[in-house]
Amino acid sequence: MQTMVEVRGLAKTFRRADGTAVQAVKGIDLDIFKGEVFSLLGPNGAGKTTTISMISGLLTPTVGDATIGGHSITRQPTQAKRLLGVVPQEIALYPTLTARQNLEFFGRMYGLSGKALATSVDEVLEFIDLRDRQKDRVETFSGGMKRRVNIGVGLLHKPQLVYMDEPTVGVDPQSRRRILDTVMRLKEERGMTVLYTTHLMEEAQELSNRVGIIDHGQIIAMGTVGDLIQKVGEEDRLFLKVGDQAVSDEVLRRIQERVPGVTRAVYDPPGAEGEDRSNTSGVIIVSAKRGRRALPQLIQIAMEAGIEIQSVEVREPDLEAVFLHLTGRALRD
Amino acid sequence: MRKALDIALNDLRVFFKDRGNLVGLIVVPIVMTIVVGIGNGALAGDAPQRVRVDVVDADGTALSAGFIEGLRAANRTLALCPFDSGEDDLCGLGDDRTLTLARALERLVAANTTAVVEIPAGFEAKLQAGEPVNVIYHANDALSAQNIALQAVQAVAGRMGGAQVASALAGRLADSDGLALTDPAARAAFQQSAYERAAELWSADPAAVAYRLSAQPETRITSRQAGFGQSVPGMGSMFVMFTVFGALYVLIRERANWTIQRLVMMPVSRGQILAGKILTWFTLGVIQFLVVFAAGLALGVNFGKDLLALAVVMLAFTLCVTALAFAVSTLLKTEIQANSISLLLALTLAPLGGAWWPLDIVPPFMQTLGRISPVAWAMDGFRSLLFEGGNLGTVLLPSAVLLAAAGVFFALAVRRFRYD
Repeated sequence: MQTMVEVRGLAKTFRRADGTAVQAVKGIDLDIFKGEVFSLLGPNGAGKTTTISMISGLLTPTVGDATIGGHSITRQPTQAKRLLGVVPQEIALYPTLTARQNLEFFGRMYGLSGKALATSVDEVLEFIDLRDRQKDRVETFSGGMKRRVNIGVGLLHKPQLVYMDEPTVGVDPQSRRRILDTVMRLKEERGMTVLYTTHLMEEAQELSNRVGIIDHGQIIAMGTVGDLIQKVGEEDRLFLKVGDQAVSDEVLRRIQERVPGVTRAVYDPPGAEGEDRSNTSGVIIVSAKRGRRALPQLIQIAMEAGIEIQSVEVREPDLEAVFLHLTGRALRD
Repeated sequence: MRKALDIALNDLRVFFKDRGNLVGLIVVPIVMTIVVGIGNGALAGDAPQRVRVDVVDADGTALSAGFIEGLRAANRTLALCPFDSGEDDLCGLGDDRTLTLARALERLVAANTTAVVEIPAGFEAKLQAGEPVNVIYHANDALSAQNIALQAVQAVAGRMGGAQVASALAGRLADSDGLALTDPAARAAFQQSAYERAAELWSADPAAVAYRLSAQPETRITSRQAGFGQSVPGMGSMFVMFTVFGALYVLIRERANWTIQRLVMMPVSRGQILAGKILTWFTLGVIQFLVVFAAGLALGVNFGKDLLALAVVMLAFTLCVTALAFAVSTLLKTEIQANSISLLLALTLAPLGGAWWPLDIVPPFMQTLGRISPVAWAMDGFRSLLFEGGNLGTVLLPSAVLLAAAGVFFALAVRRFRYD
């Protein structure tokens, strides 16, 4: 397989206002092959965007280097960036300009002009299905439509590598579906290499040929989804929703010691009052082989501790389980 | 360079798409220029501007009075204080109209008068005895108007000195030619007659016209020119700052929207991005100047004979302000900071540098302090062109200072500009 991106010893240290150093990325090695969708999966603050920002030339690495198509991002940045299409997490567009004006401007920045620029803009508008809205100001678009223009900008010069930084953040389910389909089309119809960052394991699982799991600035696991799931074996995960009830460490210890097959029990407490809660807050998460068989004993221990279980969900092994297995934390933490 | 130009064109398109920006670029500056122009006397009629000169007559004789009258005749624009103060207190003396030397010198230090002419005691006696006599001329070097008074004093002193020489000569003639004027009284009367005749001839001498301001019609200042000639470059400079300092807010917003970061991740160098952004705001500054100057033209302002010099000052100032904006932008993090700092800078540097009123009318220390504002240097250049018939040579110094400051600010901006 031909390598599209080669990352070696990439690290970034930021200096805080008080002078202390924070190592956001701690020496990453990574290979991304031509034509694959590679997802960088990790919780918020894990170092995904910092890593990608270094690969795309926005941040200068403190140590290490990366190449895109054989061009070093530190020594040959312009050549490297010509092969790269960027789709940042933010809607990096000019809201008062029309979709077409935005695409034309960024197309010129990629070195396109004249007929080539017009043709490319037309093709992209077609691809993102916004040809009929091309003369409307971007500020009048829905969130999903803005996201599509944002993606379109990264495709104008037919790059060999497209980097997408959490492109589904803040969009409705329908638009999200459309974006995921777009990523698959880039790979299948255009043969592009896609570097995709997300904190949503479902997206990584659906899109990726390979996944790199990143946490605290380090790649802690890398491989195909199947390879990674193998790491946790046949463990199921049981989600016992307890809401606002307190769960002591003693209860978790009892679960691990008394229930056969349980390898891990963690409690994900509810968020503070008024905080946006995910579906794993206020939940006891138990990893166990043959999880359904462990269920009666789990409920028994909870009742003994005076905890009322509101609902139970059993999940087959997935990337979330891999992350939990590797870090002892849920992916959303 | 092509990409820098594309960035600038795109940014200008974004700027002009916002109709609110047109109000700030056109309507407000023109209204302010007219209002401040009127405030500076644009519609006050074309009565000549009077230049205050304090005269302290310690002699109090006919000859000293003649000297004062000579000053008045030499230049009608001089307001000889306290004599010409009148009911409207032209001299600004208040209720106490007496003027001692000490008071006059205090007024000079406070820039309440442009010069003090001190006629010493014994002026007439010494003059008649043919002895040297000094009329003492005190002036504040920082005031250009004192030249007008000095010219008048020199003219009158020269005339009176000349008349005195004629008188002395007549006395010698009386002695040598045997006119039989042995009676000292008759001799003195002959001499006095010769003096008066000589003085009369001097006053009728067309050469005296050379000392009168009205002999230079091309620099004659109408009230319209005085008012709008101050407000057009002044408000132009201030609104160039308002417009260009808008960059502080826009750059922060662009970073928040990630459009700058997106450009960095494209095959565009950081130098091209910065050049494009600088070109955008420099162009907007020039457009702002042109808008206000076009309004000035419509208001009847005479921009002088050297339009190239005018363009040099305008471009040097705009470049300096643009460089300052980009240097300051490296220190700011939030949009609120940007709005506050841009207002603070514009509203401080403008009056400090003489955008609202001529620096000549403020105390000397404020004139010195005003030199830290680029507006002061720009106004030096503009005023020399609009009021003094200046040319490229007279604007070289202020333009060089502005360009040097621009160089320093750009060096800071390039070194510290944030792209992420």
